[in-house]
Amino acid sequence: MPLEKHSVSIAVSKTPLSAPFYVAQAINAFDDTCVKVEFDEVLGGQVAFAKVLSGEADFGTTSDSVIAFQSLTKKSFVTHTMFVQSDNDVKLLSRPSAQISSATDLKGKRVGVTKGTASEYFLSMLLALEGLTTEDVNLHHYQPDQLVDGYINNEIDAIVPWEPFAFQSIQLLEKEVKVHDTKSLNSLSFHLISQAADRVQVEKAKCIIQGLNTAIDYIAAKPRLAKKIIVEKLQLSDDFIEWVWPDYIFKLSLNQSLLLSLKAKSTWLVATQMSQFNGAPKLEKFIDTRALLQVQPGAVNIP
Amino acid sequence: MTVSLSQRIIIFSLSCCILFTVLVVSVVWSSYLLELAYSRDNYAQQLAKQTNTLKQLVATDNIYASRYDSVHWQSLQNKLNRLLMFPPKLTPRQQTLQNSIYSQNENVKRLFNQITNNKLKNASLVIKNHLKAKLMTQLEATSSDSMQLSEIAKTDIYSTIKNEAIFIITVSAASVFLLVFGSLRLTKIVRKSLGEVKLAFEENHSGHFQKIQLSHHSQEFDSIVNAFNDMNDKLSETTVSLEVMKKVVEERTHVLEQLSNTDPLTKVANRRALFERASMEFSRAIRGKKNLSLLLLDCDFFKDINDEFGHLVGDELLIHICKVCAHEIRDIDFLARYGGEEFIIVLPNCDIDGGIETATRIQHSLAEHSISIEGKQASVTLSIGVSMLTEKHKDLEQLINDADKAMYKAKENGRNRIEVLSPSNLH
Repeated sequence: MPLEKHSVSIAVSKTPLSAPFYVAQAINAFDDTCVKVEFDEVLGGQVAFAKVLSGEADFGTTSDSVIAFQSLTKKSFVTHTMFVQSDNDVKLLSRPSAQISSATDLKGKRVGVTKGTASEYFLSMLLALEGLTTEDVNLHHYQPDQLVDGYINNEIDAIVPWEPFAFQSIQLLEKEVKVHDTKSLNSLSFHLISQAADRVQVEKAKCIIQGLNTAIDYIAAKPRLAKKIIVEKLQLSDDFIEWVWPDYIFKLSLNQSLLLSLKAKSTWLVATQMSQFNGAPKLEKFIDTRALLQVQPGAVNIP
Repeated sequence: MTVSLSQRIIIFSLSCCILFTVLVVSVVWSSYLLELAYSRDNYAQQLAKQTNTLKQLVATDNIYASRYDSVHWQSLQNKLNRLLMFPPKLTPRQQTLQNSIYSQNENVKRLFNQITNNKLKNASLVIKNHLKAKLMTQLEATSSDSMQLSEIAKTDIYSTIKNEAIFIITVSAASVFLLVFGSLRLTKIVRKSLGEVKLAFEENHSGHFQKIQLSHHSQEFDSIVNAFNDMNDKLSETTVSLEVMKKVVEERTHVLEQLSNTDPLTKVANRRALFERASMEFSRAIRGKKNLSLLLLDCDFFKDINDEFGHLVGDELLIHICKVCAHEIRDIDFLARYGGEEFIIVLPNCDIDGGIETATRIQHSLAEHSISIEGKQASVTLSIGVSMLTEKHKDLEQLINDADKAMYKAKENGRNRIEVLSPSNLH
């Protein structure tokens, strides 16, 4: 009997972090599931989040930073699963002439970030390590793809882009940019989110996760082919993929560490007053384990 | 191509051996898989244990304290590092988790170094707490991944055992089926072929040299059957069947009997047959108290005819007399040559009058049917003595003797006559 297919639209952030979605589509991993998937490619998890909340898309891919930010707004949304994590996605790039060697040197400098995203969160943390806050720097807000333009136009001394914009900037600017080693200071994870889910929505999420599961196994078993798919799909260079790939860990998971990470991030946002909202939200309600439990129960350890 | 029985047995045994080998290999392979899965589970458990110890340490110790000594942390971290350096062989999904654990542990190390190196002199309590929370988060993530790794290993153990059990049951069932089917089939072929060969031997015994048609072909039985069929071909060419032989013997015996009972000249019964038949009729008449009469006929002047016309004419004459007599007597009557020109006719169920009537009929017929001798019609006469069985007759000879006497009386009284002995002259 043919499976009854639900048509779902997914606002996919156009980054290699969304690799499981692109691979799933390329290897037809969604064919055996109950969903017929349509991608709506967007720039950044924040746009994807907006599309989900406005109802333009049924699902979206977004970072845990966006989730931490948005959890404070008390909006009604959930993550169904984390599917990738990276500890080096967001980077600090600075103009060599600005002579920035550590976060201390950022004081009073013009720094370009994307507001309400991992970019802003990461900068705030870097500064905090040296007892500084975002108020100690001259903050400029840009769309992620426009950060490099601000830099070229000399509007800013440093930028905090995520991939692939960090790589593109480095490629473009070559010696005019210094890359700071900030690996492991910021861990980022990407999630499948939707509005607060009813039974049908959970069923659809389950089917999407089944496709992602197949894709993640494929990525683990055939990394070379998986990278080729991403290179072709996102029109990226092989160099870029080789640059970011070692930082990526593709896995389905909803565990205690996610809760801790979200809690730490949201607490941080409140404490640093990056968010206008106060009070620690009850983060458990933003995590819906029902779909992932049906696909990979071992990947869930949130009570 | 015909397969021999020994080939069948070899194929059958080989199949059993292959199935058994498959079974053994699968058990060995499963043991290897189980061992591997157990080693992965053990590895994951150790990772989780180490990570939890580190978590506990971060939770209880004040890592920002100026006198904090990280020796304990370093020794635990070194243990974890050593463990992570030598993982067992992992599946792609487990390898992903392993990579995740490794990378998270690297983050943990960097974070910890960042925290402990300069104790974050300039940092606020908020960032200190945040970084500590981050450390805990990373450790928690490592712990979760280890648990998931263990979970996968446990699932592998369960599925390996389950698959092996299903495999063993399936292969065993197939082996039992093959054994039963193979032995039944072999038995059937041997039994059926033996039965067919046995039947052919029995058929041969009764003289039917038929070819064996085997229902199931096998080289061994085919060679036996070919040899048998060749033998039967030769036998059927050279051997007369018992039934045919019986028929031939019966025919020959009949001819011989006829020859021994028949007078070669006149083709009527001879003296031997006469006594056989007459004795039988004599006994039957006595037993059944039935009438029995005898005619003794003698050709008149036969010696003269012989002398005058030769023996060949004499012989012709005797044959003519026999033909006339045979024509005039009943089916149950019996004509035989008694000797020379003498004939006896046995008349069962016939009294003396009946005998006289028959004798008369013969004389008349003989008179009417003359015989042509050297172009002339010649007639021949008979002197006939008639006797009938009475209580005085003790045996057949006496009855014949009476007929003989009556015949001589006819001769004495002028020939071409019929005479009966008067009762006083009877035996």
